Amino acid sequence: MQADRKTRKRRRLRLGNAVNATLVLALGFITMVGLLSPADSMTGLTADVFLQLVGVLAAVAVLVGVLNLLLVHLGRLPRVRKGGFYSLVVILSAVAVAVVHVLDRSKSWGGDLEGQKVGPRLFGVIQVTLESALAGMVFFFLVYATYRLMRHRVTWANLVFLAAVLIVLIGWLPLKGLDGAQDVRDWLMEVPVSAGARGLLIGIGLGTVTVGVRVLLGRERAYREP
Amino acid sequence: MTVENLDLIAGWAGLVLTLMVFSYLLADNFLYRIAVHVLIGTAAAYVAIAAVEDVLMPWLRATVFSNDADTSSGVRALGVLPIFLGALLLLKSSSRLARLGNLGTVFMIGIGTGVALVGAVIGTILPLARDASNSFDHESALNGAILLGGTLCTLVYFQYLSRRRSDGEPVNRPHIRTLRFVGQGFVTLTLGALYASAILTSLSIFSSVIHEQLRFILNQLGG
Repeated sequence: MQADRKTRKRRRLRLGNAVNATLVLALGFITMVGLLSPADSMTGLTADVFLQLVGVLAAVAVLVGVLNLLLVHLGRLPRVRKGGFYSLVVILSAVAVAVVHVLDRSKSWGGDLEGQKVGPRLFGVIQVTLESALAGMVFFFLVYATYRLMRHRVTWANLVFLAAVLIVLIGWLPLKGLDGAQDVRDWLMEVPVSAGARGLLIGIGLGTVTVGVRVLLGRERAYREP
Repeated sequence: MTVENLDLIAGWAGLVLTLMVFSYLLADNFLYRIAVHVLIGTAAAYVAIAAVEDVLMPWLRATVFSNDADTSSGVRALGVLPIFLGALLLLKSSSRLARLGNLGTVFMIGIGTGVALVGAVIGTILPLARDASNSFDHESALNGAILLGGTLCTLVYFQYLSRRRSDGEPVNRPHIRTLRFVGQGFVTLTLGALYASAILTSLSIFSSVIHEQLRFILNQLGG
């Protein structure tokens, strides 16, 4: 009885996977043909509609993600010792931004703030300041990581890496008498680095094509049941 | 509250938040964590607001709630479709109904894959391959040879061209080993240059943050 139920479930899963794989193949193929066709052709217009649908779907997915984030943090609120306080900070920050936005939209600010938009100022203070500070702090970690790299083990690849870092950094210095270093930096960026970057980008492109074809053929498990 | 007062509060808030973030340089502490969690909360809210105001509302106004008499019922139904598929994503949290949630994922993956394939071929592989083949056009013979050879060796470096010996050990033929060695050198040089660029970028951001906050403090002290 149980074995029978398992077999039926497995068959249902296989059918679901086949339907999903067929849909992915059809949608991917129509999109590809549409993107390669003239914009005013039937397939071109279909691809355009598909892209708009995916854009809206992605926006809904973002909302679902934000909702999930807030629900997870709401669930953590009672556990003060396990980061419940930080979850409260997340929820209060999100609610504050939403409330300010609603007040901006409804033009509810009174006094001297009448007609003013507080939301963009808040964005400038919190988002821009915090992101700039975090990005600025990365400088210390990058320099420290280079130091650790050489302390850990000295190999020829580490030496080449360090030489490239130093040449680019020294070549950037706007000092008199460093014209030679700047020329070396320019040559390095225009020839060997350009060649390496080109090879890497072509490799990424080939990898994208390989994964894309595997997805279209249903070989990837992203949307399949186990 | 006046606009000047609002700017003053914003300035102090910015200074406090910056110090909270930089406190991480001493050690991981609760001030840094509060700052990061404030960032997460506000970023989530801003992303949600942007998704609703810049994508969902214009789409719904153009389809479902369109005032245009010519808007057919098919277009209105099409307007509901992505909302419906997106709502299905909520079912992915349920173990029994997760399969229905896959339908939205299937749409995104199918169309996304089509776009990625066309983009990779037309936007990346073909132009770069063309550039690589024209390496000798704008450069001297030596630079052209380095450009072309470097690109090819980098590609070889990422290929699995080894053969298995009878004892199962993978070995490369000598010329492949040489090409891979040269390719590794080009990859290392490229990553080193990119790393240095990242250091320079973060240094300029750091100096601009310090400059901004110092200016605010000096303004307060001066007036």
